[in-house]
Amino acid sequence: MPRSLWSGSLSFGLINVPVRLFSARRDVGVHFNQLHEADGARIETRRYCKEEDKQVGYDEIGSGYELEDGGQVVLSDEDLATVAPRKTRTIDIEAFVDLAEVEPVYFDHPYFLLPAGDGEGALRAYQLLVETMGASERAALGRFVMRTKESLVLIRVRDGRLALTTMLFHDELRPRDGIAPEGAKKPASKALDEAVALIEAMSVDWDPARYEDRYRERLYDVIERKKAGKTIKAPAEEKETSPLPDLMAALEESLAAARGGK
Amino acid sequence: MPRSLWNGTILVAAMGVPVKLYSAVQSQTVSFKEVHLEDGSPIEHRRFCSAEEVEVPYKEVVKGFEVGENEYVVLEKDEITAAAGGRTRYVDVEDFVEADAIDPVYYNRAYYLGPGKDGDDAYRLLHAALSKTGRAAIGRFTFHNKEYLAAIVPLGDILALHTMNFADEVVSGGDLELAEPQRGPTEREVKMAGALLTSLHEDFEPDRYRDEYREAVLDLIGRKAAGEKIEAPAEEAPAEDDDDLMAALQASLDAGAQKKKGR
Repeated sequence: MPRSLWSGSLSFGLINVPVRLFSARRDVGVHFNQLHEADGARIETRRYCKEEDKQVGYDEIGSGYELEDGGQVVLSDEDLATVAPRKTRTIDIEAFVDLAEVEPVYFDHPYFLLPAGDGEGALRAYQLLVETMGASERAALGRFVMRTKESLVLIRVRDGRLALTTMLFHDELRPRDGIAPEGAKKPASKALDEAVALIEAMSVDWDPARYEDRYRERLYDVIERKKAGKTIKAPAEEKETSPLPDLMAALEESLAAARGGK
Repeated sequence: MPRSLWNGTILVAAMGVPVKLYSAVQSQTVSFKEVHLEDGSPIEHRRFCSAEEVEVPYKEVVKGFEVGENEYVVLEKDEITAAAGGRTRYVDVEDFVEADAIDPVYYNRAYYLGPGKDGDDAYRLLHAALSKTGRAAIGRFTFHNKEYLAAIVPLGDILALHTMNFADEVVSGGDLELAEPQRGPTEREVKMAGALLTSLHEDFEPDRYRDEYREAVLDLIGRKAAGEKIEAPAEEAPAEDDDDLMAALQASLDAGAQKKKGR
């Protein structure tokens, strides 16, 4: 069982369920260590007070906030812990929304919520939420604070467990003005029909296992080659299958290829 | 107009859609600097060699991949870059899938896409066709020397590009043990909880929710700047395990009905 990242209580009406939070994303990336070139020993990072030129421990470090007048306010961890204590311990469900209405642009990080401990009341209340929400297309909207950051969260059922996704607040998304093409021109209906036909011809069921992380594979390959003492050369920029400049001609050729290829 | 992070072409078979990639996220979290509590001086991170007790300048630091205990394969920067692949200017679309079928756990980071040079018509066409079919384009692209899986979906009048988590990066429910209660919830309890859920149903209006914690942190900073002493709040007693779900459900429903009447 992995380590939980947060524990607290999930509050739904007057029902409180003690829960623990686990990441639903596992880190399988290729990680490097910083080494000293001269002797290959690991690099350690040490924290120094700039003023006194001496090493300081974690418990001697605070959070400095720069004021507009150039001054600074220093907060200790204890100071920060006084902020919104309920939110740091409780996920309050505020509403239920249709999952389909929430655009993926709001999604941040995926987690699972599991009951904390094995009290019969907690397990039953957790099961009640799983059964009730599992039977609905709706997701619970709540909020909580983890590591001094408040997030809006969406809770729904996945694999028989409560899945939590942290979301961005609306003002954490950049405004979208000036990004769309100018003017209200619409594509010609013939072109749209062909583009739709091309999409249909290239459509498959969503199956994430179809897609392998080729970057990770290549990086492991580079490491293997280097270990074996072979030289590593960056691949030349591939000759591109460049798109056809004329949109209609490109559509027709693509459609013919997509249909012929199946 | 924001500055684009990457310019390239979405390639769907022989059809090219020139695009510009923009960041979608602007962090609003109150940002702090690490300081020494005692004197407020900035903290510096200094690199030390763990074998020699000497400070190591950045140019003497290399990247090593651990292949055994204390055994590393050192890679140069351009050797790592070699893994990025040769297609740096394209989003190669491999498939289209039903956008609603993608579970939220697969979405990683969001970006906006705008039309690139001479790309307005192709951009409008792809936007219209994705909107009409409810599909997402699944492709790959290389960004900052790393290849990503990406999903392109309409977002209002623009297209959004999401980098995606790979299947083996996603934890499934079965990986986490779940203890079952001795006695499951009764039908009546499920029905009441369903009624409570329905009574709390709302349209999703993201601009209704403000980051109140951020405001509270800024307030704390203001109070501390004014010289106020910051007191810890009283500890709340932890709730006792209570398995009378019926009473809690009934009380929750009553409270909800009361609130509605009061409006």
